[in-house]
Amino acid sequence: MRCEFFRQNCVLGTEPAPEMLEHLRECGDCLNHAVSVDPDYLFRSLGGEMTPPGGVDAFVDGVMEQVHLRETEKKLSRRGMPAVYRWAVAATLTIATIGGLQYQSGQSVAPVTLTAEASHGSAIVPVKNQLEPRPVVENYESSSATIVEVPNQTSDLKVVMIFDESLPADL
Amino acid sequence: MKVPEIEQSDDRQLVESVRGGDSSAFEELVRRKTGKVYGVCYRVVGNAEDARDVSQLVFMKLWENLEKYDPQYTFDTWLYRMVTNVAIDYLRSRQSREATINSSLRLVRTSSDADQGLSFQRREVEKIFEEVSVGLSPKQKTIFVMNQMEDISSAEISRILGCRESTVRNHLFNARKIMQQQLKRRYPEYASLWKEKSDAM
Repeated sequence: MRCEFFRQNCVLGTEPAPEMLEHLRECGDCLNHAVSVDPDYLFRSLGGEMTPPGGVDAFVDGVMEQVHLRETEKKLSRRGMPAVYRWAVAATLTIATIGGLQYQSGQSVAPVTLTAEASHGSAIVPVKNQLEPRPVVENYESSSATIVEVPNQTSDLKVVMIFDESLPADL
Repeated sequence: MKVPEIEQSDDRQLVESVRGGDSSAFEELVRRKTGKVYGVCYRVVGNAEDARDVSQLVFMKLWENLEKYDPQYTFDTWLYRMVTNVAIDYLRSRQSREATINSSLRLVRTSSDADQGLSFQRREVEKIFEEVSVGLSPKQKTIFVMNQMEDISSAEISRILGCRESTVRNHLFNARKIMQQQLKRRYPEYASLWKEKSDAM
């Protein structure tokens, strides 16, 4: 659109055509003229499409990256627990069972011995572990897990704690 | 908002393709609407970085809710509903964060600036708009941007926001009133233009 045509058709109180607004947003001189005719043109000049920083392609790529990420998350949650998590649950259960058994055997013997020895007024002797330690070898891989190994002074058995938010809460 | 019929039907076809699992159709939809969505977000939130983040959020919401789109409405009406919801939420959270800062920041133009004459370059108009729209509520600002800058009629805005047209007109009236008061205070030379207009009409 030519500036001359714009200025001829720029009239107070009329709804400008899209082509008029397009020209208004591109031409500084016509904006000055339009505002002197109708001050509402001042902010109308700000309209129109804009390009985000980095360009449209980079923006679209960013959005699609997010979309694919969420799609993957959705698929994983639909498929149920993946194999690696099932192995992790099995390993945790095994370790917890062995650890629990060991702890229980230590607890059930210790109070009896302590009471008996206290009544005799002699020194407290630590109770030796009754269970033979069994080696447990498991592989556990997870990007979100925190694995803590607790060394045991009296035996070779290690207590391994796995903190993983992706494991089911009811374990 | 004058959207050609062909474009509208194309939008609906793209939505159908996305629903059928075609993610490249969604990419095309994003590419087609980026300029519009980013433009509105920029004018509502007032800076490029935040506008980009808000626009991305709009498209993510769009993707998550595409199943809910009812083709009896134009796609742009539905899209603008997402834009306004996300932008208004963003403005509300930002306003509560920055309420203290804004109340102490009052930009005042000096008389020497005012004497230099009217130069309506786009950058300057953007700056003026940002300053005088500080007093608007998130809803008022969004409605003003859609109506005055995106050329969307008050009837269409009422469909986008799901409210009465009279409510939209009321918001527009109040927005203009607040902005004219701000203009009078900060840019007296521009405010006089509106005074002359009302005298002429």
